[in-house]
Amino acid sequence: MNEFFAMSGYGQYVWPAFGIGFGIVVLIYVMAVSSLAAAKQEAKRRLEMNP
Amino acid sequence: MATWTWFHRFGSPPWVYGFAARWAPWFGGAAVLSMLIALYGGLILAPPDYQQKDAFRIVYIHAPVATMSMAVYSTMAVAAAVGLIWRMKVAHAAAAACAPIGAWFTVATLATGMLWGKPMWGAYWVWDPRLTSELVLLFLYFGYMGLRAGIEDPQKADKASAVLAIVGAVNIPIIKYSVNWWNSLHQPATRLIGEADMDWSMVWPLLLMLAAFFLYFGWVMLIRLRAELLRRERNASWVREVVA
Repeated sequence: MNEFFAMSGYGQYVWPAFGIGFGIVVLIYVMAVSSLAAAKQEAKRRLEMNP
Repeated sequence: MATWTWFHRFGSPPWVYGFAARWAPWFGGAAVLSMLIALYGGLILAPPDYQQKDAFRIVYIHAPVATMSMAVYSTMAVAAAVGLIWRMKVAHAAAAACAPIGAWFTVATLATGMLWGKPMWGAYWVWDPRLTSELVLLFLYFGYMGLRAGIEDPQKADKASAVLAIVGAVNIPIIKYSVNWWNSLHQPATRLIGEADMDWSMVWPLLLMLAAFFLYFGWVMLIRLRAELLRRERNASWVREVVA
């Protein structure tokens, strides 16, 4: 198990690379979902203001 | 006749909105599943490289995000061109939906590349043709988004940003072929099929991860496209029905 995390001595590069890469993957998704939620909210508000 | 019906459908915001809502979850499910399998294959099943040892595994994140940074830009430029030529609002919305996704993929490419460059080349950054043209790509995405944000009239913003996206597309072949055209520190593209440069046990997780990232792009792009359509069509009656 330790050997797996050590990555033949390159662990300090391999794990941050995967962390940042997939961190950004999660971030892109979260930002897309919140952008859609905000757009829906805004449309709803406009609808309530002038039905 | 039949070929044109789909094209007209894709010109209709409410139809595309519904299409995106229906299809996004399928893209998402397939993307997450294939990413997990590819990660298992790349981190656990694939043997270490004979030269780079386990550092080569960075390829399983770096190559997919780098491919996407260019593929998303190409998609954006094609959508922008379709929008300009056929005055298609949905196409402009699609191009706008691509930009932030592509910019983040470019950030991921640069960051994972630096973390690979340090142990292999001894430096996080070098002003190498491949690295420099990828950095230019990031600025093109920023320019596209900045231009859109800076122009209030949506139609003018569509047109101006589309021209920028199309002109900037010249950078894509420069990135792709920089490693062949100039003396680059960056390794050339790895052949994955036919006379492959790597053993199949290393190749399949990479191919699967590439496919996973295309599916993932489809997923997040469709979500962003819906948001774009809602904002642009805020006065249309279909938006009332959708959010009511």
